[in-house]
Amino acid sequence: MKGGLISRTAVGWQLLVVLLSVLPHMEWLPLWVPALVVSTAGARLMIHSGRWSFPHWSVKTALVIAACMGLILSFNQTAGPETMVALLVVGQALKLLEIYHRRDALVVLFVTLFVTATTFLFNETVWMAAYVFLVVTLVLAAMNSIQQSDHNNLYADHLRNAVRLLFPAIPFMLVLFFLFPRLEPFWSVTLDTGQAQTGLSDELSPGDVSKLAQSSALAFRASFSGPVPPPEQRYWRMLVLSEFDGRRWTRPALQVRRQLRTEKLYPLVEGQNYEVIMEASGRPWLPALDQPMKAEAGFFMTPVRTLRASQAVDRRLQYRLQSVPLYRLQPLLTAQEEQRYLQLPARGNSDSRELARQLVADSGGDTSRVIRQLMELFNREFIYTLEPGRLGRDSVDQFLFEAKQGYCEHFASATVFVLRSAGIPARVVTGYQGGEWNPYEGYLQVRQYDAHAWVEYWTPGSGWQRLDPTAAVAPERIRSSAQEYFRAYENRFAGAVSRLGAGWLRDLAQRYDAFNYAWHRWVLNYEGQQADLLRDWLGGGEQWRQVLAWIVPSAMVFGGLAWYLMRPRRASPRDPLERVLQRLQQRLSVLGNERLPAESLSMWLRRSADDWPRQKGMLLKLALLDDRLRYAEQADPEQRGEMIHLSRQLLRELPRGKRHES
Amino acid sequence: MVETLRTHIDQALKSLSSVLLGKERQVRLALTCLLAEGHLLIEDLPGMGKTTLAHALARVLGLDDKRIQFTSDMLPADIIGVSIFEPRESQFRFHPGPVFTQLLLADEINRATPKTQSALLEAMEEGQVSVEGESYTLPRPFFVIATQNPSSQFGTFPLPESQLDRFLMRVTLGYPAPEVERELLAGGGTRERAQQLEQCLTPPQLKQVQEGCRQVHASASLIDYVQRLLQYTRESEEFSYGVSPRGGLALLRCARCWAWLAGRDHVVPEDVQAVLGAVVAHRVRSASDLSGHEGERLVARLLAEVDVIGH
Repeated sequence: MKGGLISRTAVGWQLLVVLLSVLPHMEWLPLWVPALVVSTAGARLMIHSGRWSFPHWSVKTALVIAACMGLILSFNQTAGPETMVALLVVGQALKLLEIYHRRDALVVLFVTLFVTATTFLFNETVWMAAYVFLVVTLVLAAMNSIQQSDHNNLYADHLRNAVRLLFPAIPFMLVLFFLFPRLEPFWSVTLDTGQAQTGLSDELSPGDVSKLAQSSALAFRASFSGPVPPPEQRYWRMLVLSEFDGRRWTRPALQVRRQLRTEKLYPLVEGQNYEVIMEASGRPWLPALDQPMKAEAGFFMTPVRTLRASQAVDRRLQYRLQSVPLYRLQPLLTAQEEQRYLQLPARGNSDSRELARQLVADSGGDTSRVIRQLMELFNREFIYTLEPGRLGRDSVDQFLFEAKQGYCEHFASATVFVLRSAGIPARVVTGYQGGEWNPYEGYLQVRQYDAHAWVEYWTPGSGWQRLDPTAAVAPERIRSSAQEYFRAYENRFAGAVSRLGAGWLRDLAQRYDAFNYAWHRWVLNYEGQQADLLRDWLGGGEQWRQVLAWIVPSAMVFGGLAWYLMRPRRASPRDPLERVLQRLQQRLSVLGNERLPAESLSMWLRRSADDWPRQKGMLLKLALLDDRLRYAEQADPEQRGEMIHLSRQLLRELPRGKRHES
Repeated sequence: MVETLRTHIDQALKSLSSVLLGKERQVRLALTCLLAEGHLLIEDLPGMGKTTLAHALARVLGLDDKRIQFTSDMLPADIIGVSIFEPRESQFRFHPGPVFTQLLLADEINRATPKTQSALLEAMEEGQVSVEGESYTLPRPFFVIATQNPSSQFGTFPLPESQLDRFLMRVTLGYPAPEVERELLAGGGTRERAQQLEQCLTPPQLKQVQEGCRQVHASASLIDYVQRLLQYTRESEEFSYGVSPRGGLALLRCARCWAWLAGRDHVVPEDVQAVLGAVVAHRVRSASDLSGHEGERLVARLLAEVDVIGH
């Protein structure tokens, strides 16, 4: 291996790890990048086997320029992380064309490691972690292979070496994982991976929620420190929509929202603590159990008491929250506020307005009776279905008087319209309702098909109250889950929901989800647990304690390592006689009588005796005794004492430094 | 008792040295080899005194000796003996060959063909010979001194490693020192003198000495040292292959005899070092030069690198 040539096995390793490191990026890389990687890998193979020669510099320059142009075109001149990773991959691929020395191969492998690390920017699942671990092992094997001589160059040997190197690293990895402080990233990476994330949008028009109900994607998971609320109390608020244009419900315009007064919450019972792990939604709104009391640092409570993050949720997010199931919310409204929640388009849906007038007349202006009558009407004549058919203009009229079937958003929308027409302030709330209990890890999993829309109406004194018209039409929907409801009532419904049909399959799915949850909670988002752990271990969470907790073990580890590496080659022997003899050896060696390896102690002592006439007697005596102690048949224990004594005396008498010739 | 034996041995050493001038070390090694009940290979150019040494040893120890001059047309039967049909008794009778002796001098062993060589070496190893299904035990003690020319000379069949291993020691005599050579030139031939040497030891006494050598104590630290030496030959990259366990045992056996000759009842590292070259050099091969002439250099390396005191 002189001159840093690379063996065939090493080339095999390099190509393998390069391809494996690019593989996870395939789904978002523009197609020409993987194609480039594969073709340079092929070219590398041809060059190595001697069939092709190394490309001319002009070819390489042309390739670099073309690749850069390609990147600029493919990524629309944005310099996001995708562009950077793609640049890295392109560099990695092109470097394959010019591996002349071992050093070049190392560069490729380092870049490969880096590309492998960037995988976590796009995918943090446990499977990807396992995959990355595998690739890292293989990269180590590849590094090992380029350091091995040509013969005896076996793949299995390199792999074994890599594993052998990785094993001692595991304790270090665990120590770092448990103790290394999680730093805030120095830069913020916003990712737009082009995958359409499903979730509630900030407006509601007929069909929006029912579209979501087709998706069994996970929305979020929640675990409770106390008792889990019953299904009929699991209303997860995300957005409050108060503006209606005849078809769509939206939030008020930004300027209006800025001027809103924060609504006052008066809890009637104690709050309950829980933790939510939110899946990426691409939007900033966070689910909070009706009604959230206080936002954790880093999150905001909107004036209408919904929760939002500072930016769109691009990756899993974990937060803690406290909510109260019984409360009074904003018992007093100003006239202006009341007007806002009564706002309706000037025209349209006239039949519905008429219905409202009729209800008010029938109930004599009593809000609760209006509501009861409306709910009874729903219960009597309406059907809860995922396939309500299309609604045109005057959607509320069409729904109430023609279709008479719909999904939750239809009921919520119609209810608010009727209540507002009847002079009762009302608004639409969207979010999720219900959730499936996972018994293996003890949490609630809420999926997209649990998306829901309901109503809040306001009465003086009592404030905002929750009203779920769906509960009037299909109470089972609220008590169980959307999935179970539709399984029981609409067997023909064959969307994603029924995919979890069979019991054992469902059980398996729950276990798998529990595993993912644990992965996220204990590995990816370990930060929170680390704080608890450190507090338990250190008796407090102050900064200095954490710093100490970090410094002390690392000082111990590195100190131990330093000692191991720098310890004298011959450790001081335990035996007192051997120790004193060693000191004598050191002393005499300083004085110019070094013992050769082939010399026995007695022989060396005899040789030294000629140089030290005054100590000759003692040296010869010691030589004789040592010879007898080490090699003769009967060893005398008293002899050891005598030898120690002699050696000490010699050490005292012999000069410490170099002898001066007189 | 032991003292008388020792006087006899010292007398023998003195006699031998008077014949092989300036070769005290080689003489002592040869005697050591004999005491250790092993066979000796003397490797040197013609005319260095190999045969003289063998003769002198036989005379001094009072052993019955025979000599075979190996040639390339020699057959195994020429060494071992043949069965000849006796017409009077109408049966085959075995006529023992020269191998049936106490001290056999096999001159220029590498001139014979491998077949003949192996016949002798088998006899050395087994202590008996088989002819036509009959086994014949060789006399005791049975001691072979083989001489050979350096194998790079023309017309030789070098002994393979497996057969070299059968020899306990290999010694080279080398040219005499100038002053010794002057004496030698002035004094005339030595071979006649060898014939006139007196017997110093009877075979039973030799047996006693051999017994005494076996009793010499080898302490744990010494055995550690020997083991480290062996280990080094196996681990160092300079060695193509290391010393076998048999070689290790041979080393310790020789060191015991050397110690006995020096008048000690225990082995010290210097004893091991003294016999190391003779015992080990022909059992190792250098990784860089496979011709087998690097043994001495490797032994020097071994001595310099392995620490007597291991920590």
